[in-house]
Amino acid sequence: MRANGQCIGIDVGGTFTDFVVLDATGLTVHKVPTTPSDQSQAILQGLAVLSVDPDAPVMHGTTTATNALLQRRGARTALITTYGFADVLAIGRQNRPQLYEFSQAKRNHLVPRQLRLQVDERIDNKGNIHGKLDRSSLSEMLEVLKQEEVESVAIVLLFSFLNDVHERGIAATLAEEIPDVPVSLSVDLLPEYREYERTATTVINAYVRPLVMRYLTRLRRVLSGRSLKVMQSSGGTLDAQQASKQASRLVLSGPAGGVVGAFALAQQTLSTSSPHIISFDMGGTSTDVALCPGRIPQTTEGTICGLPLRLPSTEIHTVGAGGGSLAYVDSGGVLRVGPQSAGAVPGPVCYGQGGQTPTVTDANLVLGRLIPSQFLGGDSARPLDVQAAISAIAQLGQPLELSPEETALGIVRVANATMERALRRVSVECGYDPRSYILVPFGGAGPLHACAIAESLGMKKILIPLHPGVLSALGLLMADITSDASQGLLSTAEELLHNPERLGNSINQLKPIVLSRLDSDAGEVQLDCSLDLRYSGQSYELTVPMGLPVVPENIRVSIEAFHSAHQMRYGYSAPELPVESVAVRLRATVTREKVIPRPATPTASPFDITQASRAPVYFTADGPMSVPVVKRDILVEGCTFRGPALIVQYDSTVLMPPGWDAEVDQWQNLHLKCGTDHGS
Amino acid sequence: MRRLINGRTYTLNVAQIMAVDPILLEIYRHRFIGVAEEMGVTLQRTGYSPNIKERLDYSCAVFDTEGNMVAQAAHIPVHLGAMPASCEVALRTFTRWEPGDVVILNDPFDGGNHLPDITMLSPVFTGDEPIFFVASRAHHADVGGMSPGSLPLSTELFQEGIIIPPTKLYEAGKLNEGVLRMILANVRTPVERRGDLAAQRAAHAVGERRLQGLVEQHGELEVCAYARHLQAYSERLVRSAIQTWPDGVFVFEDVLELPDDQDAIIRVSVQIAGSNIVFDFEGTDATLQAPLNTVLAVTASACYYVVLCLVEGDVPANAGCFAPVHVKAPQDTLVNASRPAAVAGGNVETSQRITDAVLGALAQALPGRVPAAGQGTMNNVTIGGKHTDGTSYAYYETLGGGMGAAPDADGLNGVHVHMSNTLNTPVEALEMQFPFRIREYALIHGSGGSGQYDGGEGLVREYEFLEPATVTMLSARRRNAPWGLYGGDPGRKGQNTLIDATGKKTELPGLFTRRLKAGDRLRIETPGGGGHSSARNSRST
Repeated sequence: MRANGQCIGIDVGGTFTDFVVLDATGLTVHKVPTTPSDQSQAILQGLAVLSVDPDAPVMHGTTTATNALLQRRGARTALITTYGFADVLAIGRQNRPQLYEFSQAKRNHLVPRQLRLQVDERIDNKGNIHGKLDRSSLSEMLEVLKQEEVESVAIVLLFSFLNDVHERGIAATLAEEIPDVPVSLSVDLLPEYREYERTATTVINAYVRPLVMRYLTRLRRVLSGRSLKVMQSSGGTLDAQQASKQASRLVLSGPAGGVVGAFALAQQTLSTSSPHIISFDMGGTSTDVALCPGRIPQTTEGTICGLPLRLPSTEIHTVGAGGGSLAYVDSGGVLRVGPQSAGAVPGPVCYGQGGQTPTVTDANLVLGRLIPSQFLGGDSARPLDVQAAISAIAQLGQPLELSPEETALGIVRVANATMERALRRVSVECGYDPRSYILVPFGGAGPLHACAIAESLGMKKILIPLHPGVLSALGLLMADITSDASQGLLSTAEELLHNPERLGNSINQLKPIVLSRLDSDAGEVQLDCSLDLRYSGQSYELTVPMGLPVVPENIRVSIEAFHSAHQMRYGYSAPELPVESVAVRLRATVTREKVIPRPATPTASPFDITQASRAPVYFTADGPMSVPVVKRDILVEGCTFRGPALIVQYDSTVLMPPGWDAEVDQWQNLHLKCGTDHGS
Repeated sequence: MRRLINGRTYTLNVAQIMAVDPILLEIYRHRFIGVAEEMGVTLQRTGYSPNIKERLDYSCAVFDTEGNMVAQAAHIPVHLGAMPASCEVALRTFTRWEPGDVVILNDPFDGGNHLPDITMLSPVFTGDEPIFFVASRAHHADVGGMSPGSLPLSTELFQEGIIIPPTKLYEAGKLNEGVLRMILANVRTPVERRGDLAAQRAAHAVGERRLQGLVEQHGELEVCAYARHLQAYSERLVRSAIQTWPDGVFVFEDVLELPDDQDAIIRVSVQIAGSNIVFDFEGTDATLQAPLNTVLAVTASACYYVVLCLVEGDVPANAGCFAPVHVKAPQDTLVNASRPAAVAGGNVETSQRITDAVLGALAQALPGRVPAAGQGTMNNVTIGGKHTDGTSYAYYETLGGGMGAAPDADGLNGVHVHMSNTLNTPVEALEMQFPFRIREYALIHGSGGSGQYDGGEGLVREYEFLEPATVTMLSARRRNAPWGLYGGDPGRKGQNTLIDATGKKTELPGLFTRRLKAGDRLRIETPGGGGHSSARNSRST
């Protein structure tokens, strides 16, 4: 944070662009409808409304790169490969996406056939030049690149991570001949083995780079001189100029801000640097969950549009269930929910925009769990149509001989089962016991489903942020500035121990790379090294921290850490087996202060839940329960009360079933605890 | 059906006691599939050989105590019908079960399908009786026999590797060391085998824990009842689909290429009647003196696979799906072989041709639904030899090809079709692991049969050997091209070529074992898929 304190987080979502301004007086929150054709327009509008210092820095989460891929609107991209391997990307892993479908849509590989170009060259498995680069084949290739008006080029040669001379040689030629076309090298982006994953990652970078570059240039103009940092998939921010070159690092950044926000919030309110939480971001069409075992989880096994993206990203599991998921009865007589979604248009039946199929939101409305007059602040232009929701759900339940309430409860339970499976995947399946974790729900629908999900997994504690709807934007302000680089390092652990210089050399090569990507004035830099290790012969690695300096003791500690990580994740370890390294990773971090100031305490009269107005809410189909309805903004520090309760605020609703107790902390976050008589 | 377990008759008909709730049923669908998938993830992650970790050549399943499959995490359709056969045999062989028991088997004529597929099965206990069984089947890269990789050009089973009848590898949690030593002594890569077997057991432990957790939370009665309700649900879905298909008898023949340039005939007549479908292989050629026979379970898998593809919506794969599907074949035909017929390639090659034959018959009943023939082979390549340090290696890989065009879509290029969906090994990974180099790995442009919808393209992979090696290939559609449908052209035939150090080319047959010298190259071109409907539209490339 700057001396004068103010900084701005701007997160672009599908429907709204969220603004969070943080300064000494607290948080200011604002929402503006997103402008899909040029996201910087909404940013300009929002900044005009908010009174912010002209030089307050901006932390930005953008979906430009993601959307370019999802909508296939990226640059006209060429791919240059080793002769004989032009179709590496098209062949992929040789599997078909659907096992039991005779008719399947062809995958779009981002590079059309005529732009998959080959050069005569070959590096062997030791990094030796087996076939020299045939420069004569380059001139022909240049002709194609010019003629086809290629906007971006990716170069991926076999074994370039062992010897980059040919990739760099071609890049140098291109820089001379077509200097305006950006060139992405696999060795710069992902100098690790496995050609398909490396090719896909490099091509994704080339494909989104021109678009991201243009967008960030435009945005910098709009921001006229403010410092601009952009959220990466890893959950760290990066200066906009660097982000333009490594655009693929933004592709999975969408849900990362929320995880960072949830983690920072938990750090502060639980006063621990390493909280154990599961973030649960339930939106309209999908739900993102992440398990943070005292840190923000990282992976290099991301995918987008069926293509692997092997750069550091926050480890998030996404399922196609959200408020807009459609409910239907299949031909076997079973109630199903999703993954099809009503989307923003037509939306749930109760929005009255032409939706006919009931959604999870409609079910919540029928059950009294959403209060029509409070939904999105009680927008009178968009009143919720309860009757329409009831009749749609009644119709759905008819063939099953279920009442509307039974059907609605069923829809919610089935949706919860999908989300429970997502939470299991990140916890139990990875060796973590969810019962020792705190659930942090956010997004529009998260707090509505949180208690039921927690109960199904035996989780006893829930932390609900003051502003569940803008946690991603808040996360932007809490994110550290980071820069990552990696290098393939195929070696036995034995060799590493006997000859640590090789590892040392790799790290020394990575150091200037990560440092050069941070801005000079960023602050004190911390370097963190990690190793990708596996048992010799395995082909999946686990990333474990590696202490610096590179001395045998530190390497030994890493190997130990690998054995325990393997035990944790897969239920066994084999200390007697040889271990080998596959890659070394270096991250440079400039830590940002993560202080959320206490909100100015509203002058609310002492809260008494017995005085609250009440509404009928269904927990079972037998009949509604009369439940207090509490406005979130009157819940100040020290309030305690007992469920059932419905807590309403502008863009979210918290449902507390009986058996849960609530307490409000000094930041007005809500802490829910499951009574001993409840849960599993 | 009642079954004797631990000396008692298991009579609790839980499904009748507990009525079905359409919401709980959906929730249990998630739960059971979740168990099988979690087992699969564990097996993949802990597996040792590339075949399991990288190519996902395995399946995991949950069975009820009557041996009915409740859920399967299926990466490999050929395991669909063959996993239940293993469970059935294990339940017939052993009537006493204790916690910690693990049965192992691979005998094709006693619950297996071909020797490299090793199945393990464990009971799940919450009290004195097993309430479920969990099982895993993984393709092991070598189980001994006459050629490395254990997919030899055999003429009888005994040449194909170690035969493991249903045996308890673990008894009450205690390893039967003699059995393990016996197995490891009969394979070329014992360290890898031991690791993969341990991974299968780790997967079982996960499945066991999850099922026990479900019972703890929801009670045995409910969990067991829904295991059965789920099967009834799948059966309803499949029956209501078959009901909409036209009744009648539809016959088709396809050919299987044999080592001696002869072709064998696979003939199927498919009878659709109401909500039942019968696949009758009467008229198929007799058992072969070649490794291309199958046991009936594999033949059934191919039929089940086709039915599942034709039923719209995602039907949970369990025993219920197969209740309306009846498969019969005369004993001692190549699709219903008896001991000791050679079956190594039946699983990987003949199963593909059975699928083609079944599709050819059903194309007459459902012309708007059935695709043209795909590459119809897995192009199995096994290579064995020695590293420079003298240690042995065995490498197994299968190659994708063209998918047949559907009535409404082009076929995919360079993918596995029908009975397989395994992944390839990265070129950079295998060059670092084995003494050969890949010269080319690309699509063969124009190799898909053209039509209104084109067949998918085959691919080429060229190996250059840096050390002498023994290569065995089981591949097909080298002489008979994958057929098109309704005027669509056939796909391009596959081709195997040996190129020696001087550049001299020799065409190799679809099935061969050959010792190759350092400097030799093996070029494999896989078949393209057939096209669908005559090409009226001019198509862009």
